[in-house]
Parts: sequence; structure tokens; C-alpha cells
Amino acid sequence: MLSRTLAVALGTFRESVRDRLFYLVGAFGVVLVGATTVLSPLTVGAQGKIVADVGLAGMALLGLLVVLLVGASLVRKEMEQRTITTVLTKPVGRGEYLLGKYLGLSLTLACIIGLMGVLYVVAVWLTPAELAWSHLVAVYLTWLELLVLTAGAVFFSFVAGNALAAGLAAALFVIGHLLRSLHDFAAMSTGPGRALAALAYRVLPDLEVFNVRAAVVHGDPVTAGQVALATLYGVGWIAVFLLLSRVVFARKEL
Amino acid sequence: MATPARELTRNTPPTAALAVAGLRKSYRRGFLGRRGEPAVADLSFTVAAGEIFALLGHNGAGKTTTIKAILDLVRPERGSITIGGRDARRPEARLQVGYLPEHPSFHENLTAAELLDFFGKLLGLDRTVRRRQVAECLERVGMAEHAARRLGRCSKGMRQRVGLAQALLGDPRLLILDEPQSGLDPVGRRLVRDLLLDLKREGRTVVFSSHIVPDVAAVADRVATLRQGRLVDLRDLRERPAATAYRVVVAAPADPDVAGELRRDPSCTLRHHDPHRWTLETVGAGPLAALLARCDQAGLAVHDVVTLASDLEDTVLADLVGDAQVREVPAC
Repeated sequence: MLSRTLAVALGTFRESVRDRLFYLVGAFGVVLVGATTVLSPLTVGAQGKIVADVGLAGMALLGLLVVLLVGASLVRKEMEQRTITTVLTKPVGRGEYLLGKYLGLSLTLACIIGLMGVLYVVAVWLTPAELAWSHLVAVYLTWLELLVLTAGAVFFSFVAGNALAAGLAAALFVIGHLLRSLHDFAAMSTGPGRALAALAYRVLPDLEVFNVRAAVVHGDPVTAGQVALATLYGVGWIAVFLLLSRVVFARKEL
Repeated sequence: MATPARELTRNTPPTAALAVAGLRKSYRRGFLGRRGEPAVADLSFTVAAGEIFALLGHNGAGKTTTIKAILDLVRPERGSITIGGRDARRPEARLQVGYLPEHPSFHENLTAAELLDFFGKLLGLDRTVRRRQVAECLERVGMAEHAARRLGRCSKGMRQRVGLAQALLGDPRLLILDEPQSGLDPVGRRLVRDLLLDLKREGRTVVFSSHIVPDVAAVADRVATLRQGRLVDLRDLRERPAATAYRVVVAAPADPDVAGELRRDPSCTLRHHDPHRWTLETVGAGPLAALLARCDQAGLAVHDVVTLASDLEDTVLADLVGDAQVREVPAC
């Protein structure tokens, strides 16, 4: 089983390389150079903060772009183009195929975020700011957050079209970061708004768990416990989305 | 599962490469997902190992749905399918199956060799075997010199050949080919025909679909004719070959004796005559050869020989033309 899943994963990775997804790393480089040359001189003494802030945010947004462009059509595109039929007539289970596709895109994201992370570390190192481990933790958690969003996008793609799935994934990103505010809103309000906000808080992933960007920019510590908890939380949500996708995918006719 | 289906499976010979019993499939349509008319209904057949079995029928007859159900791409409402005695729904049942879809579609960024290498990995072939088989399969379909060409730059016919190559990968015992000659030029069609006969000589089982009767009649051992999702005819061509009718246009015989013999010959029918040409029709390759030999002996010039539809084709077309008429098709 593992070899077939890996074969699908590596095939997906190779496809994304040939689809020139890695050009996004170049875009990130441009963002960083822009931040260091244009914004940093305007903020004397806070160059490190600016580079870290723009760098981490740019990484998250460009990663989100990959999720919306690729994750939301990861399996559906294969179904529409019928490339999936020959694959599934080999001795490959649908679950293996789904997991392989997901792992392939996760590997692509790991490489993209990894390369961006290298550029980011170099950019921070060039500023007077101290380069702490927390910078790398922030990069890792950004990747983890993107993996959760990818799993969500894959699930949405089974229940909606490509464009709608991308829209839902984008909404998940926005709502996922506003979930704590929604919780506060639920506590304060009454009526259907309260119930809706409370429901969203319970059934959607809280993406702020992965957001240590503000802490890193301001030099606040990020504990190992916090990272471990975020990792468990992320893996849990990925498993939930993939299992739901598996259930829907098993019923799909190709 | 319906009882007849279970019984049919139980009675299936243990050597059956493929057994379909009581298959029924209809697709959900519309917002409410109501099921429409069945694409396939109460379909049962078995395919013996080493047989070339054809699914024949016009477009929409249920051939592709049947193939998709065999490959677990669609989920039947009723019936059972076994491949080599294994439930077709299990991925391991497909270990010994090669499949060519009707319209092969592959990742356009991959080369033909890379695609086959990928499929080889899915089949669990180790690197050495994979390299050898990829080269052999591409060679076999005449794509060896295009192995490094990206599929996005391949013609439709070339993709069809790559599709055939991937179906042959892993040395499958059962090949399922959906319209394998679709989109191919005459050379490609001949290649497929020869390939099917080679596969039979190698002892492999082939199930293929087609709506072109001459293609089927040329290679198949048995033919299942589908119409509106139902099996209307199951014929063993080894026992009862398709009888093809021919039209022969010859110069009008000047000798009254020759003319009289031709008129009286029970193996041919004079359909039309004028002072210059006679149009005769005969059924079967043997009578055709005899007629042509007779014309040669009598010194009659043969202007044209046209292949007409066979009785097999009439079975396919019965619901369209109403009854079994001989219809003209292009000569082949």
C-alpha cells in the first residue's frame, strides 16, 4: 500500500514542479527584497520586525495561493480530465490515491515553504535583529496551517465545483483566523447569530493555533508545548478532512 | 444481491477470467438525483481464459458502463462481478488487468516513458522489470521512438497507442479495451487488430468493446450484442461466423450460356442489370471467391466489390432499422 501511495505522491509532486508552482518562491523573493529595500529604511530600528512581518505574512499568503489554485482542484481536476480512470484501474484503492495526492501536494508545499524559509532566514539575518529558533517555528506552523487548509480544500472539492471549493477554502482561512472573535461574539450576542457563531466555533478549525507570527515579530517566546499542541491539532483536523473526503470519494462515479 | 446473480456466479466455471452476473446500473440525474433508465440491465456473461470477447452495440448501448462496472469505476445497483474468481471491487482483483479507456487522457507534462514508469510503480514492479517492460510495451505499440515525447505534444493516435502500452504493462492476464480502434488511422487499426490476435496467441483474455462490426468479426471469439443496456445476442463466432454479404459489379455477359448460369446460381442473386453491367449479391467469403473465379473464367471484367453489412450488424441495428435488412457499409 505504502509504495503505491508514495508513487502517487511523487507523481503529484513532479506534476506541480512542471506546472511551475515553484515560481512562487521567486515572487516571495521579490516581496522580501521589496520589504528590505523600500520599507525598512522608513522604520529605523525596526528593520528586523518589518522583514519578519512581511516575510511570514507573504509566505502564508503565497502558500494560500497554492492551496486555492492546486488544493481545491487536486482530485477533481483529475476526475474532470479523466486522468484518474487509468490510475484507479490499477490495483490502487481510492483511499491510497487520495492520500497519495494529498501527500504529494504536502511535499510540494514543504519544498515551497522550505525554500521561502531559507530566503526568509537570510533576509532576517541580514538585518540587525536577532535570529531566533522561533522564526523557524513560525515557518513550520505556517506550513502546518497550509496542510490543514489543503485537506479542507480537497474535501470541499468533492462537494462543490473547483471555483466554489477554492472560495470555501478561502472562507475557511478567513473564518479560521476570526474564530476566537466569533466565540467572543457568540458570548455577547443573542438569537440566531449567537447560535451560528457558536456552531462555527465548534465545527471549524481554529487557525490562530498556528499563528505565532506576531509573537515572533515582537520577540516573544514560543514554547515547545505550544508547537506540540498545534501539531496534534493540525494532524487531527487533517485526518478529519481526509476521512470525510474518503467517504465522499468512495461514492463518486468516474 | 439478487438470487439469480448468486446462482449464476456459483455456476461460473472456475477457469472464468471474468464473470458478470445480473448487472444493473442506472445513473442519478437532476438536482434530486433520481435514477434514470438503466444504462445496463440484468446483464450476465462469462469470459473464459484465453478468449477474445467483444461487447458490441451502438453508442449508448451500455458497453462503457459495463466496462466501468467491471473496473469498479461505477457502482452497480445489483449484480456481481468477479475477475479470476475475485470480487472486482477489491483493488487486488485488478492486479492482472490492463485497461484502455475509450478516450485515453494522461498527464500532459509527462513523457510516454515517464507515464508508463509511474503505472509500473502502481503495479509494484521493481525498477529493473519496470524499465524493461516500459521499453517492451512502447516498442510493441510502435511508440519506442517517441518514448521521450511529452504526452501534451502527442497526436490522438499516439495517445491511443500509449494507452495500449500502459494496458499491456505488468503482463496482465486480462485486458479490457474500450473502443481500442477509436481515433486510429488505418495503420493503427491494423496494429490493434494484430495486437489482439497476438494477445490471444499468448493465451491472454481480451474483452473489448466496439460498435464497428467488421472490427469485431475480424478478431473476436464470442460477441455479446447489447441494445439499450440489455444483452440481445451472445454468439460464438468460432461456431457461427458472421455472414457478410457482398455486392459484385461485373461487365454484362455477352454469352447467353454464362448469363443463364449466373441467373440460375443459387449462391448469388442478380440485383440489377443493364446492357453494360450486372450487379450481383452473395453472402459469405466462400461464395464470393467462387463467384469471382467464375467471372474470371468467363472473362467478365469485375468493376467493383462492395462489402455489405453482416447479419451480426443487423442484430446491432435491429432497433434502428426495424428488421434484419442488409445495409450497405463502406468496403473494408
